[in-house]
Amino acid sequence: MKTLPDWLTDNRDTAALANMLSPESSRPVEELAAESRAMTLRRFGRTMTLYAPLYLSNYCSSGCAYCGFASDRQTPRHRLEPDEIRRELAAMKKLGISDVLLLTGERTAAADFDYLQRSVAIAAEEMPRVAVEAFPMSISEYRALADCGCTGITIYQETYNREQYEELHRWGPKKDFIDRLETPERALDGGIKNVGLGVLLGLSNPVEDALCLYRHVRHLGRTWWRAGLSVSFPRMRPQTGGYEPPFPVNDHLLARIIFAFRIALPDTELVLSTRESATFRDGMAPLGITRMSVESKTTVGGYDETDKPGNKSDKGQFEISDDRTAREFCAALRHQNIVPVFKNWEPAYNGPSATIHHERDADRSASTITPETETCH
Amino acid sequence: MDLLQIGSYTFSSRLILGTGKFSNSRVMLEAVRASGAQLVTVALRRFNREQAEDDLFGPLSSIEGITLMPNTSGASTAAEAVRAAHIARDLSGSPFIKVEIHPNPQHLMPDPIETFEASRILAKEGFLVMPYIAADPVLAKRLEEVGCASVMPLGSAIGSGQGLATSEMLNIIIRESGIPVIVDAGLRSPSEAAHAMEMGCEAVLVNSAVAAAGNPPVMAEAFAEAVAAGRKAFRAGLMEKSGSAVATSPLTFLGTF
Repeated sequence: MKTLPDWLTDNRDTAALANMLSPESSRPVEELAAESRAMTLRRFGRTMTLYAPLYLSNYCSSGCAYCGFASDRQTPRHRLEPDEIRRELAAMKKLGISDVLLLTGERTAAADFDYLQRSVAIAAEEMPRVAVEAFPMSISEYRALADCGCTGITIYQETYNREQYEELHRWGPKKDFIDRLETPERALDGGIKNVGLGVLLGLSNPVEDALCLYRHVRHLGRTWWRAGLSVSFPRMRPQTGGYEPPFPVNDHLLARIIFAFRIALPDTELVLSTRESATFRDGMAPLGITRMSVESKTTVGGYDETDKPGNKSDKGQFEISDDRTAREFCAALRHQNIVPVFKNWEPAYNGPSATIHHERDADRSASTITPETETCH
Repeated sequence: MDLLQIGSYTFSSRLILGTGKFSNSRVMLEAVRASGAQLVTVALRRFNREQAEDDLFGPLSSIEGITLMPNTSGASTAAEAVRAAHIARDLSGSPFIKVEIHPNPQHLMPDPIETFEASRILAKEGFLVMPYIAADPVLAKRLEEVGCASVMPLGSAIGSGQGLATSEMLNIIIRESGIPVIVDAGLRSPSEAAHAMEMGCEAVLVNSAVAAAGNPPVMAEAFAEAVAAGRKAFRAGLMEKSGSAVATSPLTFLGTF
């Protein structure tokens, strides 16, 4: 059995966060909210960056107990073909979306690396910013994705409690706890610029998981100092399979976790998706969150109305809670004096990040600039 | 008349405004008008040709009497910033480019090596290059040597509101510079902007301090007045501080007449 990395138990700067998260915390939630709000306003202004997910495929080879796409679920399986991806992206663009997160299940023959890479290349032709939430890959695969215009990946550890992790991931490649833990490092070595981390709140002790998540952010930030890091706070939602989370997290605790992360990580992007209710999202929008998903579909495709009829019976990976349209959601943000920002990236900045490995490579000093990056085939 | 000169361009206002972080573009435009700013910076990544409501470039280009200075915020290497500068010039027609390269998107500190390289290339290509830098006197001179139109050292970290934390280094940069020095980032209050101008900065750039204020247009006006007052004080010549002129030894060695 592989040993746990040292950073996972590194307590050198966790004391303040631990105090804020503790059930016996000396800091009332109102005080944390005020500090979080002020810090967010200073650093990010009155803005909210928006994105939307596009599920490319729900084929999966893993058996995660909590997921509606696990390979034993009796759910119809699809994958989007290139022309369907283009239609979905066109429908998303009509909503204003210009920042897309492409999702798949665990690696399968139906949705393998080549399929994902082709899909990223198609999306990068249409959208200024493309990120991926899919299966763990090798450094060279991540580099190939970055070359095609992928600027970020999202990879949640789900839980940092190894025993619980191994029990929940019943079979498949995702069962390897350490491999999952090392995936963000491979992505950053491959030149992926942004990495989104998170735990699926409800699976294990939320305070312990939050502390490990913080250590993970700090470890990556210290070692891969160019990395753009973001943190999400997904809570378990009802899903096909009917898994009941053993450690449900209520609104109060979730809010406390978010405020504490903002205070502990003043410059880090904090993300809240449509898993959460309209009321909770509107309440948290000015208090620490800087990035939100909008008008999300968790079915394969789902944005284009000429969608395959078979997809209509697809229940999605999980049920969303905030089902407002992009227009309604933006109106609610504006009502709170927050500007919805759809485009906050420029394709001129695409391409692999300079990495530690690159720096050892004499060919890539600042003095050798090529006017255009290689095109992706 | 006391004008700010950058390249062959002159401006009567010495307040430059950043345009991100506002709650909507109407408030942003009101703040720009209230500030009297004639030079305004806008991130290329916030240009959105496909959706007018999300676009900052369109509304700004509708205001008479302002010159746009696109910036490369989001770039993490010289190559990316050079590409962005070309796109920004094609879209905006402005000869100005604010080179902003921060490889770490968390703290947004500028990369001196990549910034130098991008500035060198863009200055050679004829851009009016305005590099955002840490308050490093040697880097400022190196950038002047390669043809930058100004240097824009930070007062403190972007969005920190810590004011002129780098004032000692800024003093050296100002004293030695042959091109305009513009303090960019970190200012929180108009008094800090006035202080920067009293020190001899040619202009200041603010964004967060106005955008995150309770009333952005009124705060923009307050900054404009402070910048004008600070400039006037600099030109008038501040009196010496008490203590500053009596630190030398008495002239007893000269003997008595």
